[in-house]
Amino acid sequence: MNTGQIISGTGHLALIGWALIGGTFQSAPPPFEVMQATTVSEAEFAAIMDRAASPEAVANVDTPEPPAVGETAPQMTSDADTTPEAAQPEASAAAPPDSAPDVTGVTPPAPAEVEDAPPVMQVPSEDMAVMVPEVSPRPQPRPAPRVAPEPAPQPEPDVRVDDVTQPEVTPDEGADVAEEPSEATAPEEAAPEIVTEAEEAPQAAPSASVRPRSRPDRPDPPRDAPTETAAATPEPESEPEPAPERTRPTSDRTAIDDALAAALGEAQQSEQQSAERPSGPPLTGGERDALRVAVQRCWNVGSLSTEALRTTVVVAVNLARDGTPEIGSIRLVGSSGGGDTAAKQAFDAARRAIIRCGNDGFDLPVEKYDQWRDIEMTFNPESMRIR
Amino acid sequence: MMRTMISLFVALTLWAIPVLAQDGGPLRIEITEGVIEPMPFAVPDFVADTAEAREVSRDLSRLVAADLGGTGLFREIPQDAHISRITSFQSPVQYADWRAVNAQALLTGAVSVDGSGRLVVQFRIHDVFAGQELGEGLQFVGTRAGWRRIAHKVADEVYSRITGEGGYFDSRVVFVAESGPKDQRAKRLAIMDYDGANVQYLTDSSSLVLAPRFSPTGDRVLYTSYETGFPRIYVLDVASVGRRTLPTLDGTMSFAPRFGPDGRMVVYSLTQGGNTDLYSMDIGNGQSTRLTSAPSIETAPSYSPDGRRIVFESDRSGTPQLYIMPSQGGEARRISFGQGRYGTPVWSPRGDLVAFTKQSGGRFHIGVMRTDGSEERLLTASFLDEGPTWAPNGRVIMFTRETQGAQGEARLYSVDISGRNLKQVETRGGASDPSWGPLQN
Repeated sequence: MNTGQIISGTGHLALIGWALIGGTFQSAPPPFEVMQATTVSEAEFAAIMDRAASPEAVANVDTPEPPAVGETAPQMTSDADTTPEAAQPEASAAAPPDSAPDVTGVTPPAPAEVEDAPPVMQVPSEDMAVMVPEVSPRPQPRPAPRVAPEPAPQPEPDVRVDDVTQPEVTPDEGADVAEEPSEATAPEEAAPEIVTEAEEAPQAAPSASVRPRSRPDRPDPPRDAPTETAAATPEPESEPEPAPERTRPTSDRTAIDDALAAALGEAQQSEQQSAERPSGPPLTGGERDALRVAVQRCWNVGSLSTEALRTTVVVAVNLARDGTPEIGSIRLVGSSGGGDTAAKQAFDAARRAIIRCGNDGFDLPVEKYDQWRDIEMTFNPESMRIR
Repeated sequence: MMRTMISLFVALTLWAIPVLAQDGGPLRIEITEGVIEPMPFAVPDFVADTAEAREVSRDLSRLVAADLGGTGLFREIPQDAHISRITSFQSPVQYADWRAVNAQALLTGAVSVDGSGRLVVQFRIHDVFAGQELGEGLQFVGTRAGWRRIAHKVADEVYSRITGEGGYFDSRVVFVAESGPKDQRAKRLAIMDYDGANVQYLTDSSSLVLAPRFSPTGDRVLYTSYETGFPRIYVLDVASVGRRTLPTLDGTMSFAPRFGPDGRMVVYSLTQGGNTDLYSMDIGNGQSTRLTSAPSIETAPSYSPDGRRIVFESDRSGTPQLYIMPSQGGEARRISFGQGRYGTPVWSPRGDLVAFTKQSGGRFHIGVMRTDGSEERLLTASFLDEGPTWAPNGRVIMFTRETQGAQGEARLYSVDISGRNLKQVETRGGASDPSWGPLQN
């Protein structure tokens, strides 16, 4: 269902509603509506009080069943309550969910449904002329339950592995047919930042400026003119990104080294290079980027406390030769910006990211295993906090 | 400064990576871009060993799931997608099965009925991908009629273990229940669970009531009533529904009361001779102190959580804006400077933010700003939004949204302070002026 239909639909509904009832107001004060002015009976009151009685918490469940036996039914009230509540099960037998016990109220469904449409629509119907042009760049930002570095349009795109790199990869390699079917599950639509109801569409700018950096470069371009690539790729931020190795370090020497390393990666190895770098070629910028992107796709900060969102954690992990993380090796190396609890939450989120996205093995060149066997990842949520 | 140094350090570290790598040190990368999405979790029905317990166990586990899913921070994986069944609370969890359905958190539980007929609910929270429990198992014991509260408590525990923030599910909201057409609407005070269940009415609809406000402990409610023809402030005991008037001068109108964090001081507005100013009162002895004495209108005061400052609304600059002053009165500092009119400020329980209503460009917004007025962010926009109130953990705001037209109706909505998860709170009829109480004991 597109926005136009929704707007048109509710517009019509509103119009019909208005036509039906619009003329009937009068300011004469007739007697007010039917309304049970319930004075609470004693029994009900007792039931209410009982319902409000706080449950007791007991830590350490591990002691199996009998724990509370010791309590010798202190309150007589609990007997009293079983009676009112015996009535509830009958109601809930018909409609198990929560609403049943409350008041068996027949009314709730109706208002709820009517309500759904108006809140969103009524204002738009007035502003429609203004809204329409603005909406187009960012049609459904609110519904997107996911905020990701790369905005994703609608469910259609592919499997998780692909969704970040895809814009680059597709032309080169052609999409794998095998990946198409699984699309439905993984990457939902995503907005680059949280868009509140009050915000229209102006904030595309900042996110766009950050974008260029995150595309993983292929190893091939540097082959012909490495230094030029370095100069040509505009690096918007001087922030500490892995990409630097290849492009930014600015000194020609490093750029050349990296380009050589990349070329070597393709050509398997070469002696002179290994003479320069005894332990084998380091990861190229592209490979490091790919790893970073792979982890950040699973780094979900959505359920972190605001304090944890201010906490940067450094997490160490050992990878097996197939690129999968050794779960037991994931450990917190350091943290800054928050207390212990926040650091723990932040660490938990980081660990989940590593395990989830490394489940099938990170895509790293086996011949450079020594280079990536031990990894320290710094998870810095600063830029996520302000979205 | 610290941050700069850290960035610098990280930058230098990264610069040096080729060197470090060749020295055999770990590969270092920095992750700065993540995603914000609800965390997938699974709640299989709690295990019940008797028929009696089984009656409750499903409803209870469904309510826990609803609480968590309703935050927008979590997304439940439907039960029919589960591969693994939990048949015994004590046997080990097959984490691989839950990993396969992408559940990141798993809640298992057991419900039984003890000798005295009380419900015993035990549960464990699992970090599926780490393959371990998240904290220790826990147990709640309560009456059968109180099963909803037990469920809310379980959900609160899960929420706080995963997010690191306090929960807000086992809390109540006092509000004005509305019925009847717009021009002759009947209003009475009502109290409900945070999710709209268990509504009780505290007053009848014979006179107009406004702006109920919970005490910090949730045992009393302040509100304004037009019972005498003039607005007067009443304080009502929630348990007994008994009430009394706060002593204010005859011939004056008093309204917009709010408790201080100690539950003893009350700050309110009083109109005398056409001028409205702020007063505070010790409700123990009824002594009032005047806090402002400007010819302008000062109203909608709200204490900071430490009780030392008050944020309020004043039109002394020409339009209604927000100001902060010491709680004993004194010089006020303006904090709102945006376009439009600001009102009904409420200090967050965490102390870092102020929620407010803003009217601008023909629309109403609920917004938040820091207490120095910076980082203003509007969370909603509609024909009429007003009267924000904070969840006990300072992460969610509830407010009134009224729709346009003669058939327009007021309803309660809630929104996360990030602006996400805007949704209506289920109430049976019209509802306005919510005040969110504390977590219950």
